[in-house]
Parts: sequence; structure tokens; C-alpha cells
Amino acid sequence: MTNMIEVRDLKKRYGDKQAVDGVSFSVKKGEIFGILGPNGAGKTTTLEMMETLRPIDSGTVIIDGVDVAKNPQKIKYMIGVQPQSPAFQDKTKLKEVIELFAAAYGEKVDVMKFLRDVDLEEKADSYYESLSGGQKQRLSITTALVHGPKVFFLDEPTTGLDPQARRHLWELIEDVRKRGISVIMTTHYMDEAEVLCDRIAVMDNGKIVAIDTPKNLIKQLLGRGFKKDQHVEQANLEDVFIDLTGKGLRDHS
Amino acid sequence: MNKKSLYTIYIFFKINTKRVFRDKTALFFTIGFPLIFLFVFGSLNSGTNDLSFKVAVLNQSQTSFSKDFVSELEGGDVFKVNQDVSDLDSAKEKMSHSEIDATIVLPDSFGSVAPGEKYPSGQIKVIYTQNNQQSASALVSLLDAQLKGINAGFVDTQVPFTVAGEQLNENSLSSFDYSFAGLLGFSIIGMGIFGPINVFPELKKMGILRRLSTTPIKVWQYFMATMAGQAAVGLISMSIMFAVALSIFNLHMVGNWFELAAFLIIGIITILGIGLALGGWAKNERQVAPLANIIVFPMMFLSGTFFPRFLMPEWLQTVSSFLPLTPIIDGIRLITTEGRHFIDILPQLGLIGAWIVVIYIIAFRVFRWE
Repeated sequence: MTNMIEVRDLKKRYGDKQAVDGVSFSVKKGEIFGILGPNGAGKTTTLEMMETLRPIDSGTVIIDGVDVAKNPQKIKYMIGVQPQSPAFQDKTKLKEVIELFAAAYGEKVDVMKFLRDVDLEEKADSYYESLSGGQKQRLSITTALVHGPKVFFLDEPTTGLDPQARRHLWELIEDVRKRGISVIMTTHYMDEAEVLCDRIAVMDNGKIVAIDTPKNLIKQLLGRGFKKDQHVEQANLEDVFIDLTGKGLRDHS
Repeated sequence: MNKKSLYTIYIFFKINTKRVFRDKTALFFTIGFPLIFLFVFGSLNSGTNDLSFKVAVLNQSQTSFSKDFVSELEGGDVFKVNQDVSDLDSAKEKMSHSEIDATIVLPDSFGSVAPGEKYPSGQIKVIYTQNNQQSASALVSLLDAQLKGINAGFVDTQVPFTVAGEQLNENSLSSFDYSFAGLLGFSIIGMGIFGPINVFPELKKMGILRRLSTTPIKVWQYFMATMAGQAAVGLISMSIMFAVALSIFNLHMVGNWFELAAFLIIGIITILGIGLALGGWAKNERQVAPLANIIVFPMMFLSGTFFPRFLMPEWLQTVSSFLPLTPIIDGIRLITTEGRHFIDILPQLGLIGAWIVVIYIIAFRVFRWE
């Protein structure tokens, strides 16, 4: 498999803080790549430089052969962006949100198809402000895909969602990957990263401290002699919650 | 500009204009608010056309003649009789405050028939203060004319010389006609400046503009869509103002409607540029409010929105003639009330054109998506 994204020695400085300090990684076509790390580690800044939203101090980002710093306008046609807390204008119907974003790329699309992709077709004529948190996230995802991008960026997509909505969103992200789109996401949830991501980069203080598949990272930790308190449970509290309340989405209010 | 760019602009224009009509607050500020001002100014100005006097009447006479005379004064339109005044002292106090223009005193013998005479007689006293000389002398001649009419009923007199007034109804401007152009200017400011400086910081705060900046849409496309939307909503709002002004306040509209519409669009776009520059630059509401006030209020008062510029001292007229809103209001007035054409208002158009270039260069330079 060829690399869709090549990031080389990326750096960004804010005042006297080196927010991103020489980050390098690559992402394959159709791969889900997770960036993990505590707040202030430089995850969002790294994403924003890749998304053309922040000027790059030094280093390069190449997406499908196109240099982000040299050709930002071309890159915008190739990427879809889901920001940390997505928002749209109020008093706008869902079908209009899709129409608007497709128009931003100069395209006219089958609006209902994109709403159907994220189970929002019966909300087509509702206003954006009437949606629940999970519905807003789903709308935002399908909005970011109207122009058929090759790379999809998600910044903490499931923060603040209930377990049902989170699981539903995971399925949607899986669907996106199945279409051959490379996904790059940040998250604070380890279970999410473990379930979803093919590979993970762990960032701290602007640097990548580890990069591998979730399994290998765990194996390496165990290989270093790490031992968890031994009480192997067959289920955790989230399993109980899902068992009691079901997997069905709760936002059809 | 290719077809795709135009499509982008068209869809943004279409959906954002629809949103205005779904938003009751926006509707109030674009259509309702200027209408309220129109009604206030319309009523203020329409009152000044009729001559009337605020007077107090002190009737010291008991005769039926004097009673009839007073009730006739009260019944007419010319005199607004203040009923609170019962003695000369309170009348004096009210006159010194200009609450009433003069006091009409009918002495105790007024209207009585003197012994040996066939008809009643008497002398009316009009009391006034220094600050009311003009209206008092008008009042005296008015009463004099009224008494002449009464006298003619008692004594047959010949009048060799008379005077008669005749009103011309030709194309004269009422003060409302004059201030209407200013009201339109006010509504252009309301939409073009107060609209964007409230909306843009909000869009930035919610990250909506930032999200748009991840798409290939360009600032000029976004501006064009906003301009088209403002022009459409502005024309609708001003059509309503014109309908009200024509039907209720008897506006004299003698110009060409198409030229007027085109000129209004140019005016809306010019002033919207100021709003786009301020709102596009500001990171939040707090940052933009003081700057907007510094720009808006002087322009509003100096460009002739609320009172005509010819009342200002010469030097101020010269300075204010270069403000962006001045040629817009002047142009509207020249087209509406004097029926001028574009060819006649080239100086105004030239000044507006220069401002459009300056304003939009600044607006593009300072715009930021977040």
C-alpha cells in the first residue's frame, strides 16, 4: 500500500512555546490513524497545519503528492475536516447545510444521499439547532465528505456523546475508511483508539513518543515487564451500560 | 470568474437570504426598526405644516357673547386652548416656559351692550412674553381678522382694499420629503453596518467561518454572496418604507424607480463594505463595538440622516460632504424629490465609487476567518 500522507519534521512555535516539535509520520490509503496525547501535547496544532488552517514553521506535509504549504487551495479539495466542536449557522435546514458546503466546492450533490449515509434523512427539513449532539456530529461528518475527499480529519469526534452515539459514530468512521478514505483522528478515549485505529501516534510536549499498532504498543509495554493488578474481568461497566440500555441510538427526539 | 464560482455565490446568497426571513430578530432590525423611525419622523414632520397657537384664555366677562366667543376659539383648529390656566399668574409661568404662546384676556365688560348702543363691544387683550413676539403678533392679526368678521355682522362697512392668499400645489418639498432620504440612509447604516458587526463575531466565536475556511471558498465569493443578500433584503425593506411614505405621509416621488433602485443598491453595497471590514476584522463583539460607534455616529449625524446638512456651519458642510453616506443620501434625495438622472448626479456617483474602492480594499485586507 502506498502512503497517502507524508509528514516530515513538522514544527510550529507560539511565542516561546514549541507547540509542535519535529513530528514525522505517514498514513496509508484507507488507514485509520489516531493521534493521542494529553491536552496541550500539540495534536490539534498538528492537524491544523495539515488542514492548511495554520502556517507551517518548518517541515513538510505531502498529501497524495501535493505539498500543503505550497498548494493549499488544491489541498482543500482533497481533504475533509471535522473540527473539534462543529457548528453551523442556525435557521438553516439540514439539506441546506449540505447544499451550502457542496457549493463551497462549486459542486451540486444529491443532498438526500449524504443525509441517508448518516441516518439523518428524515431530519432533512429540520433546522440545525434542533439536532442533538450526536446528530450534529453525524451531520458534520457527512458535510465534510460532500466533495469526495481522499483524507478525512476528525478532532475529538466523540467528546461529550453518550455511549450509544459514540458506537454509532465508530461505525460511521469505519464506513468512511471502507470507501478508501484515509482517516486521521485525535481522541482522549483509549477504548476508542483501541477499537478504531489501525495505528496510533502518542504525542507529548509537541513530540511523538511512540508510534505503532495498538496491539504492538501494548505488547511492548508488557515486554518491558509491566504488570497490571490481576483481576481479569469478563466485562466492564460500559458493557453493563450497553446491556441495560441497548445499542439503539437515542437521538430520534 | 467561472461558472462554479458563480454557483457557489448563488447558493450562499440563496440560503443566507432565506435565513433572514426565518429569523424574527433580523427581520425586526432590517424592516421593523426603520419603519418605526419612519412613523416617528413622519408624524413629527406632518404636524409642522399647520399653523396653530397654544393659548390660555382668561374670560373675565359673564356675557353670553363672550362665552360664545370662547367656545368658538376652543372649537377651531387654530387655537389649542390650555384648560389648566385659571389666572394670570399661572398663565405667566406657562408663557415663560413656552408651554403656551400667549394669553387671551377677555375683560369683564367684554361683549356687554353699553348704554345707548345697539350692539355689544369690547377689547381683547393679548398678553405675551418677549420670547413669543412673533407668534403673538400673528395671533393679534388673526384675532383682528376674526373680529372684523364679527363687526361686519353688526355694522355695514365698505372695504376698498382686501388681500387673498392662494396656495400653489406645484412640486413643493415638504420637510418630510427632505428627511425621507435621510431615513433611508439610516436604514442603510442599520443593515450594512450593525448587521455584519453583530453576525460576524458570532460566526467566528462558533467556529462557523473557520469551518468554511477549510473549504476552497474565497473571501471575495463570500463577500459577493453577502452583498447580493443585503441588496435583496435592503430593496425589500426600502420598498416597504416607500409604500408607507407614499400612502401615509404623501411623499413626492418624481424620479425614475429603476434608477432609484440601482442607486440604492450601490448605496447599500458601499455601506455594507464598512460593516464587512469591521465585522470581518473583529475577533469578538467587544472589540468591534467602540470602533463601530466612532465611525457610525459621526457619519449618521453629519451626513444628514436626521437633520439637513444646510443647517450646519459652512466648514462642517464641506467636511461632511466627503463622508461616504453623504453622497448616498444626497443622491437618493435628488432622484426622489427632484427627478434627477444618473447623468445629473455624477459627482455623487464618483465620490461613492472612490469610497467603494477604498472600503473594500480595507475589508479584504483585514478579513479573518477566525
